[in-house]
Amino acid sequence: MNAIEVTKLSKTYPGGVEAVKGIDFEVAAGEVFGLLGPNGAGKSTTVGMLTTTIGPTGGSARLAGFDVAKEPLAARRVSSVVFQEPVVDRSLTGRRNLEIHARLWGVDPREAAARIDELAGTFGLADLIDRPADTYSGGQRRRLEIARALVAHPRVLFLDEPTVGLDPRIRAELLEVIASLRSRTELTVLLTTHYLEEAERLCDRVAIIHAGRIVALDTPSALLGALGRQLVEIRVDGSVNSALASLRERGVAGEDAFAVGSRVTVPLHRHSSGEAIAAIHDLGLAGAISAREPTLDDVYLRLTGDSLAAAA
Amino acid sequence: MSTAEIAIPVPRARRRAFGPLATLARRRFQLTARTPRELFVPLLTPIMFALVIAPALKTALHTSASYESFVAIGTIGLLIPLNTMFSGLSVIVDRVSGAQPELLTAPIPRGLLVVGNLLVAMATTALQVGVLIGVALARGIHFHATGTGIVWFVATAALFTVGMYGLAEILASRVPRQEEYIARLPAIAILPWFLAGALFPITALPGFLAWVAKFLPLTHGLALMRYGLRGDSTGLHAIWGLSDPTAMAALSLAVVGGFGLLLTAASIRVFSRSAVR
Repeated sequence: MNAIEVTKLSKTYPGGVEAVKGIDFEVAAGEVFGLLGPNGAGKSTTVGMLTTTIGPTGGSARLAGFDVAKEPLAARRVSSVVFQEPVVDRSLTGRRNLEIHARLWGVDPREAAARIDELAGTFGLADLIDRPADTYSGGQRRRLEIARALVAHPRVLFLDEPTVGLDPRIRAELLEVIASLRSRTELTVLLTTHYLEEAERLCDRVAIIHAGRIVALDTPSALLGALGRQLVEIRVDGSVNSALASLRERGVAGEDAFAVGSRVTVPLHRHSSGEAIAAIHDLGLAGAISAREPTLDDVYLRLTGDSLAAAA
Repeated sequence: MSTAEIAIPVPRARRRAFGPLATLARRRFQLTARTPRELFVPLLTPIMFALVIAPALKTALHTSASYESFVAIGTIGLLIPLNTMFSGLSVIVDRVSGAQPELLTAPIPRGLLVVGNLLVAMATTALQVGVLIGVALARGIHFHATGTGIVWFVATAALFTVGMYGLAEILASRVPRQEEYIARLPAIAILPWFLAGALFPITALPGFLAWVAKFLPLTHGLALMRYGLRGDSTGLHAIWGLSDPTAMAALSLAVVGGFGLLLTAASIRVFSRSAVR
């Protein structure tokens, strides 16, 4: 059975804003699945519907077989969330925060006590766990929230933009923590992010979401592979469309070459970057030329016409 | 990790409601205990009325000594709304900067969050009413309470607290920010107090306002509490005009009880609906 099954899920907020437009995806048990997209793409709304804090206006979703709309308590019992914003009782100790979660999720108190000690050790919180959460640094609080989400052995863990707002050092530290979750083979993780490297590094599969629709869904390597081993980027002074047509005519660019603004991007499948650059010079296309490996931002750019890094 | 370890914990029937409710109430109590102002600030104004203003009015107006106990009970009608409204404020704080979003994803009926908060609001109100009466007694203010009278008083104070907390929770669910909540507080917690016979009998009000006052749950609450602690049924008579004090007390208790039940049911509904966007 899939851990998450989403079928034609949609959400239109009062006022007519369509945040999610009939998305479909499935996540296998034990998989780390990423929803990648800029702010406003519909990622958090999707997580909200899966965690039953946002009511879908169409379609359905199941967590471990439980319909989130018809069996919300059962769906919530098998899942946990780490929110985008810090969500802790700051005046209570870290341990008390974890205890409350354990009690509400029905974990036996003795089992919970042992589990909290284990998680405090795993996440480097052993020395802090009996201090009020408002004395924690941003990274420590995030680790506390992840530990809390794991207290009740969830089958599905939602990480909603867990590194947003953190400084680079804490973010790097937290990515290590999240990467370590992969070793928990019983755990299915749905991670939302607008950071490309997070999705590439952490996820088995990535769904790229744009304006409420999933525009691509595959493994990061397959998504990148579709753009070849390398690509050439040309900043064109004149018409990008005629430049693109010339490149296709010459056989340098295929149908997957694309232009955004004054920039033409040419995925290289058959040619080396040296051959491509020489051909571009032969065509007399002026402007800066560079060759590099493709990124998920290129995938996003090709599919949507927007740069994910700029949109985020 | 074994399959047994990842099995979903199946709660026992008994703990399905009481276990989570106790956890939620204990959490709210711990949060409240860490913000002592929530306990003490609502006490200040009623104590000022009971211990300073009432004796001053008694002296200035040459009224009888029983006026002090009349006002002391009247100030309970201010203390309960103020305290419950402060409790409602902490619901907004919890939503904006606390762990409420996490609690909304817990596998429990969301109405339990309201009931857990209500239990703590009742406990803090009981503490504050106890302090107010204790301070009044220490100041030399006399009450004439019988065992039955105390039962009337406690039942009334409890049911009125339940109703007022329901009102506070509804407001907290519908108002997005603390500033907007606080702006509404005087109209809900203080204005009715001046009309409900807290400082003077409602018969002293102009005719139309006296008629309006009879529809306020606080008017029934104050009349009942005075009936309980002072053995004085004039407030009940001003509302119902009957000759049997027990019957009038029962009718007013039904009004306060209905107020409590209705507002609690409404608050659970409003909270649960507002939890899902």
